[in-house]
Amino acid sequence: VHAPGQARIGAVVTTLVIGALSLLWLIPLAMLGINAMKTTPEYFRDSSPLVLPANPGVVVRNLADAWANAGIGADLIASLVYGTTGAALGIACAALGAYGIARLNIRGRFFWFALVFSGSLFPIQMYLIPLFRLYLSTGLYDTQLGMILFYAAASIPFGLFVFRTFFATIPRDLQDAARLDAGDWSIFWRIFLPLAKAPMAVVFLFQFTWIWNDLAFGLVLSASDGVRPVTAGLAGMQSLYSTTGPPTLLAGAIIGTLPTLVLFLFLSRYMLTGLVLTTGTQAARD
Amino acid sequence: VREPNTEEMRRGGVRRLGAIAGPVAPYLFLAPMVLMTSVFLIYPAIETVRLSFMKVSLTGETTFIGLANYLQMPSDPNFLTACINTTLWVGGVLILQVGGGLLIAVAVNASPAAEVFKRILYLPATLSGTVVAIIWYFIFDPSVGLINLALHAAGLGFLAKSWLSTPPLNTYAMIVASTWQGLGVIMVMFLVGLQNIPRDVIEAAQVDGAHGFHMFRRITLPMLRPMTLVVVALALIGSVKVFDIVEVMTAGGPYRSSETLGVTVYREAFELFHQATGAADAVALTIVVLVISMFYMWTMFRRIPETVN
Repeated sequence: VHAPGQARIGAVVTTLVIGALSLLWLIPLAMLGINAMKTTPEYFRDSSPLVLPANPGVVVRNLADAWANAGIGADLIASLVYGTTGAALGIACAALGAYGIARLNIRGRFFWFALVFSGSLFPIQMYLIPLFRLYLSTGLYDTQLGMILFYAAASIPFGLFVFRTFFATIPRDLQDAARLDAGDWSIFWRIFLPLAKAPMAVVFLFQFTWIWNDLAFGLVLSASDGVRPVTAGLAGMQSLYSTTGPPTLLAGAIIGTLPTLVLFLFLSRYMLTGLVLTTGTQAARD
Repeated sequence: VREPNTEEMRRGGVRRLGAIAGPVAPYLFLAPMVLMTSVFLIYPAIETVRLSFMKVSLTGETTFIGLANYLQMPSDPNFLTACINTTLWVGGVLILQVGGGLLIAVAVNASPAAEVFKRILYLPATLSGTVVAIIWYFIFDPSVGLINLALHAAGLGFLAKSWLSTPPLNTYAMIVASTWQGLGVIMVMFLVGLQNIPRDVIEAAQVDGAHGFHMFRRITLPMLRPMTLVVVALALIGSVKVFDIVEVMTAGGPYRSSETLGVTVYREAFELFHQATGAADAVALTIVVLVISMFYMWTMFRRIPETVN
């Protein structure tokens, strides 16, 4: 039999261990922040990457250097364009299709759903080679349009899954009442779509983050600054960082992290609860 | 028989048009979605399978060569290295991220400061794999990196290594970087599972005198089983196809010593221009992922009656 005092000591020890681990977890982020505020000679001269910078204002120069000279600024804007328009176009296609499958008179509902959803089953490596060949032969290679089209298509399967589940919960009476004086399109546009704001936000957040973090398609389907996404830009900068210096590269990494970090800071409770896919779908239904 | 008047003819015409547009119109709602996924996802997946049976010349022409791309796999040392490294990744992620994530979730759940710890440990998951790789590339730097400097400072200088250029240390180092990023996600999933364990079950066990490790083994672990299966499946799928961290930290090097299957596909197809070999490697990787996915879906569908009860 354990004494209550012993249990309390156990709780204190556990908290201390987890606390130490949490501090350890913050060190790489501290390293990122501190060294983006150093000059390159300072970085190599300091006895440790955790020594505080002599002049933190250097960060402005490093950020500007990464933004302009290393092309990270143009890549960041490209990534923002892909994240927003790709996810939005994907959501539009997925919501239309989900409405058709869930509420209209269509043969082979399961076939259409399975066909589109099969697009999310394979690892990304299964798409790279033919897409590269297709993009080269159609002129989509290294164009913003090509990147948007692919990212939109990649956003559709998960979107279809969420919207189909959501539309199936909307009472049929609502649709039948509306059908008396409206066609399928206006029922979709005026009733179903406005009701679907919450699942739309879930899918948008999920797909924006996915597009933002993608590296492989950026490396394979694009090459030039302003077309390649920020991940591919950073990867390219990393492979030749000796020309820019570690602090500039770390400043670039901070630029490339800000949008998703800001999203997390504003929506952390929401993201932490909606993290598990099933839980996410549940949240969409509420 | 009375001739139909113009009003009736017009209505009939509309009805006939409606009869044609009626059955077709619903499919127009599916058209954009089906078109987009067919061109950019389904066609490439099928084409990858086709290319895996081909020989692709540098100019892009294809010739059918049957199973040759697959038959050469067992004698390709780079492919075998990639298989071994991928296995190391799977094992490392299961032990460090799933095992570690479970232990930390149990500890965090019991702590009064759970919310703070949860947010801190989850924070790296908001970074892209690319940024995680860049941060840890500098941490593992042999001369000015944090790890070696810390080892020297602690008088353990003899343990300092060229982490990213010594196989198999480079793979282990990258698994550590991946754990920093992925542990929080798995911990949060286990926390969801822990919070779903009914209070009365835990209280009844406490009344019966269950504590500490005994409680963990006999009550917590069995009750977490459904979530554990989901986490294991997701961790397996994620680690089998790992790409970003390896590509950015070592590019699979030095001398292709740290390549994983996911990186081998990229290296073969886009740096060595062996598109057919890359396609065959991609198909092999996909088969592994699909087998795990089937296991995942099987557990998911089995879970539904359990959660209903």
